[in-house]
Amino acid sequence: MTGFNTNALPKGVKRIREDIRTMIIRGAGRIARAGAKALAIAAEEYKGSDVKDFINYMRKVAEYVKSARPTAVSLPNAVSYVMTRLLRATPESVEEAKQIVITAAEEFIEYSKNAVKVIAELGAKRIENGDVIMTHCHSTAAVSVIVEAHNQGKVSKVYVKETRPKMQGLITAKALADAGLDVILIPDSAVRYFMKRVNKVVVGADTIAANGAVINKIGTSLVALAAKEARVRLYVAAETYKFSPQTVIGELVPIEVRDPREIVEDEWLRANPQVKVYNPVFDVTPPEYIDAIITEKGIIPPQAAILILMEEYGLSISDVLSREQVEFKYEELRE
Amino acid sequence: MEGRPKCDEFLKETERIARNLREGRIMGSTEAAYQVLNILKKAAEKCDSGFPHFIRVAIPLMIQARPTSIVMVNLTREFLEEFIRLAKEKGVDEAVGHVPRIINGIIERVEMVKECVATLGSRRITDGDVVLTHSYSSTILELFKKAYDRGVKFSVYVTESRPIGEGKIAATKISKLGIDTTLIVDSAVRFVMKRISKVFVSADAVAANGAVVNKVGTSAIALAAKEARVRLYVTAGTYKMGLETVFGELIEGVVLSDANLIIPKDRVSELAGKVLVRAPLFDVTPPEYIDAIITEVGVIAPQAVPLLIKEVYGWPPKVPSIESLVSEVRKL
Repeated sequence: MTGFNTNALPKGVKRIREDIRTMIIRGAGRIARAGAKALAIAAEEYKGSDVKDFINYMRKVAEYVKSARPTAVSLPNAVSYVMTRLLRATPESVEEAKQIVITAAEEFIEYSKNAVKVIAELGAKRIENGDVIMTHCHSTAAVSVIVEAHNQGKVSKVYVKETRPKMQGLITAKALADAGLDVILIPDSAVRYFMKRVNKVVVGADTIAANGAVINKIGTSLVALAAKEARVRLYVAAETYKFSPQTVIGELVPIEVRDPREIVEDEWLRANPQVKVYNPVFDVTPPEYIDAIITEKGIIPPQAAILILMEEYGLSISDVLSREQVEFKYEELRE
Repeated sequence: MEGRPKCDEFLKETERIARNLREGRIMGSTEAAYQVLNILKKAAEKCDSGFPHFIRVAIPLMIQARPTSIVMVNLTREFLEEFIRLAKEKGVDEAVGHVPRIINGIIERVEMVKECVATLGSRRITDGDVVLTHSYSSTILELFKKAYDRGVKFSVYVTESRPIGEGKIAATKISKLGIDTTLIVDSAVRFVMKRISKVFVSADAVAANGAVVNKVGTSAIALAAKEARVRLYVTAGTYKMGLETVFGELIEGVVLSDANLIIPKDRVSELAGKVLVRAPLFDVTPPEYIDAIITEVGVIAPQAVPLLIKEVYGWPPKVPSIESLVSEVRKL
């Protein structure tokens, strides 16, 4: 980027990007809010008087923030929420333009926090008295649904899958136990064994594609398959900014493959140089295995994902097309 | 009775074996049964006239430690029947002297069965296959070796097989054979299933309806294989057939609840007392998810298991329970 020195960016912006990249800030919702915050900081601290320069500067900051961890769609969506509002407006002064960015970022953060509350309320309605629930990985939205249903006295107990390799199930187990739920922690391999005792599965999502396929932590699609086999209903709790506009224009959702050392220790790798360790961290659950997606805008069948995308982005597909693509290591997967 | 003190050390070892069986530390079902047979053999060599007493204490202890292990039940039954027959014919003392020979005979026969199963199974692997396996099995390892030695070009995916993690041991051993080996987490089986051409798993036991009891996770793999139209083969010698299931017995599962199995040491404190841990060691794969069971007498459909039981053990199969055989030992 000519004429754009990322070193000269405000400290707050650089720190947020670094924290997202190194997974200190984790979870699709938190990443999205942090991304919006970074744009607000950049705007606040901008020194200059030309509106065109400011807009150009913000475009570059947006690209810089998005490139932190481009797998999760919530980050580019949050950035685009703010940027769309700036680009659609015709500000006459830098001050006015700054205010548009700051207001939009605040709006998004407020919206995001509120979305989880609404999802919890809507989702809890789908839980019936005495239900035994299973969940996978850690999702703030899914946990909120289960806790809300528990507060209404409906949940009997929750099976939480450990979620190898990073064991996010432990975070979920603690959050649910702290909320007063009966929690049973199980190994991922026991998913089919326990499915017969489960009434409902509630999981989160990292990204939702235009056809309603849900990209979430590795193992989700196996839970969904086992649920389908046992005729157990499966709900995905997800804010609308997890829907991917890029998939409308035919992009495949990239699946991040991470370091083998998340699965085995360094020592083991050195002792077994011939063994490859393959660590894809997401998988794709086809829409036909999902009973409904619970969003803050309502509960929809997965196949209606395009409805959410059209509502959010209108027919401005050309905007989506013009977005810069960031390169990274991935494996393409078509479901 | 004077032989009993000499037996004490073997009773201690028996308790150790029982504990290892309960905690899933002895991996394969055949390996588990061998441990039982070998301790019987060692005890017979030292206990003399105390041996029948040893049998009465040690056998129920070890069987109860792992009730799923049909192999242990079947091989122990085979041993007891032969021992009782000899004791009745030639007296207890002479029968005790024959114990090592009886046990060596049983183990030799099982080894031949495994060899045969591995040979038949290895013929199902062809050039270009990408095979998925779960957990650890010496028969599967031998099957891969035979295919590889024959020059078949194939690669293998292995699940880590939580909570015990014996898949890592399998990955090490398979890769040392020179086979292209990839380790994945259990959760990734559906993700990789599209690139898999065949699944090979072993069995701890096979029920009369063709359902296969194996290390937990097998049934989810079978489900994912079925969904992707990938063939699934189970290797199981006839000594793994649960004869009692013909008469309606269910094969009991073992469910561990030790938090340390799942929660890493440094995180136990944050969850201690807050959550329960449930880790079943085995699950049941229904016959409709299994393409074939590879036995030493041929490759069969799982639904044909009763036919096989009839061929090998007669129909209805004659199956005195371990308890009745142990109490018969008492009467000797």
